[in-house]
Amino acid sequence: MSATAGAISLTSRFTTGLLNRPVWFLSLVLLLCFWVAAWAGAVPVTTDDWLVLWRHDEPLTSGAYVLWNLRLPRILFAALVGAVLGLSGALTQGLFRNPLADPGLLGVTSGAACAAALTIVVLAGSGIDIPVAWRFWILPLAAFAGAVGVCLLLDTVARWLTADSIAGLLLTGIALNALAAAIIGLCTYLATDEQLRSLTFWTLGSLAGGSWPLVGTLLVLLLAAIWYVRRLVSAMNALALGEAAAAHVGINVRHLRRRVIILVALLCGFSVAWCGVIGFIGLVAPHIVRLVIGPDQRRLVPLAMLVGAIILLVADTTARIVAIPAEIPVGIFTALLGAPFFLALLTSVRKGG
Amino acid sequence: MSHAQQDTHMLSLDRVTVNLGQRTFGPFSFVIQPGERIAVLGPSGAGKSTLLKLLARELSPLSGQAIFCQQPLKDWALPDLSRRRAILPQSHEVAFGLPVDLVIGLGRVARMHDPSLASIVQQAAEQACAAHLLGRRFDTLSGGEKARVQMARVFAQLWDVEQGLLLVDEPLAALDPGLQFSLMEAIYTFAANRGHAILAILHDINQALQGFERLIFIKHGAMVGDYLTPHVTLPLLEALYNVSLAAAVTEEGEMIVAPSLKRKVGG
Repeated sequence: MSATAGAISLTSRFTTGLLNRPVWFLSLVLLLCFWVAAWAGAVPVTTDDWLVLWRHDEPLTSGAYVLWNLRLPRILFAALVGAVLGLSGALTQGLFRNPLADPGLLGVTSGAACAAALTIVVLAGSGIDIPVAWRFWILPLAAFAGAVGVCLLLDTVARWLTADSIAGLLLTGIALNALAAAIIGLCTYLATDEQLRSLTFWTLGSLAGGSWPLVGTLLVLLLAAIWYVRRLVSAMNALALGEAAAAHVGINVRHLRRRVIILVALLCGFSVAWCGVIGFIGLVAPHIVRLVIGPDQRRLVPLAMLVGAIILLVADTTARIVAIPAEIPVGIFTALLGAPFFLALLTSVRKGG
Repeated sequence: MSHAQQDTHMLSLDRVTVNLGQRTFGPFSFVIQPGERIAVLGPSGAGKSTLLKLLARELSPLSGQAIFCQQPLKDWALPDLSRRRAILPQSHEVAFGLPVDLVIGLGRVARMHDPSLASIVQQAAEQACAAHLLGRRFDTLSGGEKARVQMARVFAQLWDVEQGLLLVDEPLAALDPGLQFSLMEAIYTFAANRGHAILAILHDINQALQGFERLIFIKHGAMVGDYLTPHVTLPLLEALYNVSLAAAVTEEGEMIVAPSLKRKVGG
């Protein structure tokens, strides 16, 4: 009996792929969060404000202005960044075959933030004049470079230590985090007042910069990443067998690692460049999914994105409305949600081992 | 060896050496024909696993030539190679606790289009005595159950292929004798039905003598013998392991050996 059921569930997992029930459920939850987030905030919004796009003749009310130019891009941005973080977390954990791996914990986000900080302070200090059109891209590129650097370093170190040394990997991450923190601290020391303000933004994390162009760019990036990841998820499942066995079943492990590393670095780099360091979502989102529906990467990856989007949207909305009119940095709420969960996770891993 | 014969070789090693750490292993020279059952014997650390890694293409040759199915081993694309040879590993761990169905199905992950996957997973599981494990999580299984699932994965990988190569790295050493026997039988049947050759690293001399038609001896990193099983004598085995062995013959005429307590003098 159980054998037949297993075979059937395998078939259904292969054929339905993305279109399964948890995806629909989480999408509904996400829509609900959108709805609540759009109505909540310092400035009240009326139904008329929603329809303002179709009434060009009327003057814009403050509610309509806030809704369309500030709030909607921000909540979409929050959801997209959350999805990006969930995706990069799921990929990192799959790549290192380790449920504790997370771009933040391993120092990838710190590397990106460090490169961004260096760019802000050193580039500005050097007096080189950068065209305005480039400024939008120069920080993401620097952050990307920082993230790639850390990823490649981790990959090398992880293999240079024993093949599956989890402790070695996490210790390397801690060392890299400390190094990045030291460099960011040095930058803070050297920075001018104006630079200091942007540095604080990067280290605390904020979604206040969300705007329609950013939403568009991130959406394109995310869609491209999803399209790219679609072909990698089965191979990443094989990686769970171990590197040697994955190669035996026909996976080119070196290529796969390179691809995933570049992708994770790209995703982390962009999210860090535009909204600073937002921790814990990359760790927590894939884990919630794994606990509830299991570790199959083909389902884990899309669901981790949805869960990441929901968590960050909820955290950001809370950050916006809990102390109106002031705004609390969103990193505080993701950490408030994430830290207890992380401790619970460690306990369960310890019990399981 | 004539050229006409050479064409039928599944795998041939010609004076292949390989580097691992500071040591050089080899030279290894032998050929494997389709359907052959070969056991590799030798003391611990002699280089048996290194030879297997060489054949699995985890290590590349330092010198010499390794030809697999008329093509140099190093020129094979990994997905193509995975359809002709499979490796049953020594360790069975899988990260994250994947479901058993998925682990077995991963044997066929390199196939782009695989409509019969579910039925092959089912049949492979049955052949490996693992059908009752389908639907469970891999990390909840016992050692013996994990071995069966890994075996089913390897079966699934070479299920619809003829004349493949199955490399086995003493995966059953930690299992109880009854299970070892039934799983070895499963491997023999699976391979015999499809003309797959088996090359197995074994610690158990008796298993090698009873189940395999040819034995390759490895000692101090080099190949020291390549015999058809009936030609293997007690002194050859004693020299290989550097111990005294006692032998008995069963009613079926098979030799059974066991180490005797005194150490061989001067060996």
